[in-house]
Amino acid sequence: MGNFFPRWTNWLPLKLAIAVVFIAFGVSVGVAYYFTPKYTRVGYEPTQPVPFSHKIHAGQLALDCRYCHSFVETSSHSNVPTNQTCFNCHGPGKGNIRSNSPKLEMVIKANETGKSIPWVKVHKSPDYVYFNHSAHLNRGVSCVSCHGKINEMEVVRHDQSQSMGWCLDCHRNPEKNLRPLEFVTKLDYQASDLKRDEFYKTLLDKKVPAGEIATTIGGEGAKADSLEQIIALAEKTYGKNVTQTEVGTQIKKHWQIQPPESCTTCHR
Amino acid sequence: MKKIWKHPEEPQNAKRYWRSVAELDRREDFLKNLGREFPEGDSLNDEERENSRREFLKIMGASVGMMGLASCRRPLVNILPYTQHVEWMVPGKSLLYATTMPQNGGAVPLVVTTHEGRPTHLSGNPLHPLGGGLNSFAQASVLDLYDPERSQKPMGAGKELSWAKANELLAKAIDEAKKSSGASLGIVMGGSTSPTYQRLLGEVKAAFPQIKLFQYEAVGGEGQASANKEVLGADVKSFVKLGSAMRILSLDCDFLGVDPVAGEPISAFTKHRAKTKETTEAEMNRLYVLENRYTLTGGMADHRKPLAASLIPVAAAVIAAQLGDASAKALADTAPASLKEWIAPAVRDLIDNKGKAVVLAGSRYGAEVHALVASINNALGAYGSTIDLLQAPASPELGTFSDLQAAISGGQVKTLISLTPASLYYDAPDAAALAKVVTEKGVKLIHVGTHKNVTARQAALHIPAAHYLEVWGDVFAADGTYSIVQPMIAPLYDGASHVEVLLTLLGRKKLGPVEAAAPAAGSAPAAPAEDAAYTAVRDTFATVAGSLDEKKWNFTLRDGFLKGSAYAKAAAAPNVAAVAGILAKATAVVAPTDDALEVVLVADSSVYDGRYVNNAWLQEAPDPVTKLTWENAAWIGSVTFRRLGLKEGQHVKITVGDISIEIPAIEAPGHVSNSITLPLGYGQIGVGMVSGDRGVNAYALRKQPGTFVLSGAKIEVLATIAELAITQSQNTMEGRAVYREGTIETFNKDVAFAQKTGMDSHIPENISLYKGQVGVKSETNPDGFDYEKQHQWGMSIDLSKCIGCTACIVACQSENNIPVVGKDQVRKGRVMQWIRMDRYFAVPKWGTHKNKDGSVGVDQESTWAEDNATPEQLENAEMVHQPLACQQCESAPCETVCPVNATVHTPDGLNAMAYNRCIGTRYCANNCPYTARRFNWFDYNKRNPLIETSVLGMKVGNLYAGPLGEKREDESIRLQRNPNVTVRMRGVIEKCTYCVQRLESAKILQKQVQRDSKDFRVPTDTIKTACQQSCPAEAIVFGDLADPKSAVVKSKASPRDYQVLKYIGTRPRTSYLARLRNPNKDMPGAENIAVWSNNQF
Repeated sequence: MGNFFPRWTNWLPLKLAIAVVFIAFGVSVGVAYYFTPKYTRVGYEPTQPVPFSHKIHAGQLALDCRYCHSFVETSSHSNVPTNQTCFNCHGPGKGNIRSNSPKLEMVIKANETGKSIPWVKVHKSPDYVYFNHSAHLNRGVSCVSCHGKINEMEVVRHDQSQSMGWCLDCHRNPEKNLRPLEFVTKLDYQASDLKRDEFYKTLLDKKVPAGEIATTIGGEGAKADSLEQIIALAEKTYGKNVTQTEVGTQIKKHWQIQPPESCTTCHR
Repeated sequence: MKKIWKHPEEPQNAKRYWRSVAELDRREDFLKNLGREFPEGDSLNDEERENSRREFLKIMGASVGMMGLASCRRPLVNILPYTQHVEWMVPGKSLLYATTMPQNGGAVPLVVTTHEGRPTHLSGNPLHPLGGGLNSFAQASVLDLYDPERSQKPMGAGKELSWAKANELLAKAIDEAKKSSGASLGIVMGGSTSPTYQRLLGEVKAAFPQIKLFQYEAVGGEGQASANKEVLGADVKSFVKLGSAMRILSLDCDFLGVDPVAGEPISAFTKHRAKTKETTEAEMNRLYVLENRYTLTGGMADHRKPLAASLIPVAAAVIAAQLGDASAKALADTAPASLKEWIAPAVRDLIDNKGKAVVLAGSRYGAEVHALVASINNALGAYGSTIDLLQAPASPELGTFSDLQAAISGGQVKTLISLTPASLYYDAPDAAALAKVVTEKGVKLIHVGTHKNVTARQAALHIPAAHYLEVWGDVFAADGTYSIVQPMIAPLYDGASHVEVLLTLLGRKKLGPVEAAAPAAGSAPAAPAEDAAYTAVRDTFATVAGSLDEKKWNFTLRDGFLKGSAYAKAAAAPNVAAVAGILAKATAVVAPTDDALEVVLVADSSVYDGRYVNNAWLQEAPDPVTKLTWENAAWIGSVTFRRLGLKEGQHVKITVGDISIEIPAIEAPGHVSNSITLPLGYGQIGVGMVSGDRGVNAYALRKQPGTFVLSGAKIEVLATIAELAITQSQNTMEGRAVYREGTIETFNKDVAFAQKTGMDSHIPENISLYKGQVGVKSETNPDGFDYEKQHQWGMSIDLSKCIGCTACIVACQSENNIPVVGKDQVRKGRVMQWIRMDRYFAVPKWGTHKNKDGSVGVDQESTWAEDNATPEQLENAEMVHQPLACQQCESAPCETVCPVNATVHTPDGLNAMAYNRCIGTRYCANNCPYTARRFNWFDYNKRNPLIETSVLGMKVGNLYAGPLGEKREDESIRLQRNPNVTVRMRGVIEKCTYCVQRLESAKILQKQVQRDSKDFRVPTDTIKTACQQSCPAEAIVFGDLADPKSAVVKSKASPRDYQVLKYIGTRPRTSYLARLRNPNKDMPGAENIAVWSNNQF
């Protein structure tokens, strides 16, 4: 038998092995970086056809989110306003505010032609995911929990990953994101803004027994009969300021927030 | 030692249920596929297999080229909001409107679910006096709206015209007609009861005094109309009160199926069949049926006798004679003895229940049958008790089809406007001759229709008709309730409604697209008052309601009907004296013989008279009796079928007179011998992709108007065998005690008989040390179902009520975005419908043997193979139906085998299916004892299975062409989809979810209402599943098992409640209520009814 393989082939297996390691490493880094929701979602900030500033409207002017997204509490879908909504303030013959601004050109044109403004979708759930805005807003989950501080964004940016794991995190531990209903669209809300006595008073007014509130604060064995005792107990447990855990656990317990975790909740 | 529980042998001693004759006979090919969840892939023939290998290489090459191009960049998606806000519209929420579907002689009250202006799903209108479930035709009609092959442009002699040109031609025709004051103009209309239509027709008559008006419906009952007119009086309508009738005898009247009677909804009939405690024969209604083939009504019968359709007049005469009608005596005497024997005790029963009995006759029988039936009902005191006679407002006189033929061949009519939903050149008696005469005489046919059928293509002018969901209109329901037809969507293809055509004749409307001016900035949407049809309907409303009261009008729009607008009772009593005269004019009865068979033409359960031929849901919904999909076949009774030596699907040539057709034959148990049933409506060419050229046109055999029973037919066996797509022997249950029934006697002896039937009384006791109640959450069983605080969904199906129609299948398809797979895939057992309607036949006895002492005994231990039913037994087989979808087992076998947890249980007891997690192993389907799971073999939504594509010169089905196939999803069909249900992709399993989207949205709605409060239980019985909503018999009850007030808890408490395959321990959430039958002991063969259950006790 002669030398069937040339000499250089002696190193070939090793070379191949090294190459494979590098390629595999490169591929996994690429997949890990590019294919994760982090890359594809958070930070996505497309230019919108109309340079509408949430910062001015929701932040500076402090318009309530529901002024434009009017059906968000009744529908699965948070509607994008019609031209009529814009024209309530900007429209000729109405508020007439800055109706000559070139930024409004497209809105005026859309009103004339009847053709919709092609807003670019920022938050998109996949086709096989069912999400319902009203189910969350009516139960104390704020806009800010999923969309970030829109009132500070000039252009809307994808703030949270909105991946399945992220959804489940909150469905398993909703306390972190629950707040009284009147603050759902207050994006700057902090739990510490709440007055403890008012918060517990509303609970008592809803006929929640004081004893149950106490056990929610202090665990088994904690007792309270009156608002004063509850406040004292809360101060002892959570400190001087109202905390998110405090508000969240009370709401979860007494509104019976049991976020479903079964598949049919979102997939059907 | 662990006891392994095996499926029991089926009790062989009495009645056995089977689903196909092949199963009964244990034919080899049937046994081969038995027990196979998925019929093997070798349903490809050799050529296909050869091609598919080459195909594979080609496809691989193509796909490699496409790989790697997929980008991981985020695709740009736009949100397009409305520019002007739409009244009532909340994006993301469905909006319901009440409307009405006009039908021949009546109306189907509807509630339409619309999503952002798209009608997606129909259900019955519960507020309407005649509201209830829907039949499959009404249920599927929403798909017709989006049919991409609907006629979209006017045509002139087969060529497309512009609307301007069409309007010009129409105007010319009208001008010409005006000159002769309408003498040369004829209008042929369908069986519409629209008051606006009638009113405008009157105005047309005033404008064109000489105009000739005709009425023609392809399967309409001219005989019934003429008999009613003479006996009951002009414009008198009979209204059958099924709820008051405790004894019903049907003379081939399929009132539960395709031949509905004007009267109370079907649920009024079925409510008398469901009993929960001991009852008497008088408390339950009883149905006698005489018919030549099995119909749904025959399946519900307590006593049924197969009888040649030619002999139905004789049967009517026998009954009439027994009730003392002397004029019927001569005809009655010709009856065979067996018929007299059968009828005598039945009529005695009717007489005993005078005032609670009614006799119904098939609408397509001649005037003599209907006259006799009127005389019978009169003698039984039915008028005023079980039949109300109602006085409808006078309507214009309409000529019959014979008058139309005479007018055309006589040259009186020069322009004929066809407004009937029938297709004259296809379904008219002797259609070819009609087309010829029309051309010879130079008659201009103006056809208004929804499809480009043969009449549309040959007409001088064809105008696309609008769908009823696109137009304004109105209609009188069967009891005369004024019901409104309101548009859900602007006409997709600019079609014209029939009202609009009449308005055009009157010069008040121009057909075609509305030239819409762009809405001025800030202005309100264009006022609908400009619409001429809208004005016309409002004018009619003003006359019906007394005045144009806006408040009343708005209530009518909201409810779909005007309260209290039903017809008044007719004053005159029926004129029975006229019966003798009608009888004298009747043609002689010819009983079929071996050499001269009879041919019975019947409306098809899928395409009716042919008008639904392009509706894919209906085409794929199996025929309730034969389980045939996508085409028609000749139904031949077992005796004749076996005498001819036919095979399933073998072609036969049927000749009547000088016309013959070739059609595949199928063996139909329960069918009388020497009789052939031919479903109508198929064999239309060029209508569309769904219609194709499927099936055979049985209208061709008919020469005389108004006849549907043809005698003297010859049959000839051909060599070829057709490949039919029959679903019946797939998904078999192998004859376990799945269906349970009993007579009233059995029930009274032991109300809980169903729970002790089959293996259920032998289930071993639970000897486990585990003490918690299985499945229910308790201290010892923390993982069980919480039957106190959480919803626990469950369903109960009453087999006493289920009539076996396919409405639930179609409703489910419409609600859940279930794709259609096409004939080829159905043949391979890949039908996707989530509910299947199991149809079992049963023969009373399994043959006998001689005992040693010479007495005759029933075979107790006969085995399948050697003891087959005789053809005669097959002729008298019983038929039962059982709808079956996923049973939502609490201990589901499918869940334990899924390797990826794609099917898991929810806390509220649903067997959930996460499509995006499914990888398509199909283990779950293999492990499902109910075979309730369906697999997406292809992407049926994106790749239309109905088209053939050509790949490199080879013709292949589109599904098999891979990436080279046509990837097309019709835009218009997509509009029908329910946005709350995922459209499934290839390679995933799907199945019934109890309409989880409805459950979830009800729960969310409750949260919206309660907000920060605590009560999140959905109010009792507020959720209905799609199948439940559609069920015309109200057989399906769904609800919360954890709510003691709910209907489903009450229903499951019935002693008739049983679970299918209970002994395997799956704990299904869906259970059934055993069927009850109410036999009359004096009837011949009464002892054989449900003998099976009698033998179980």
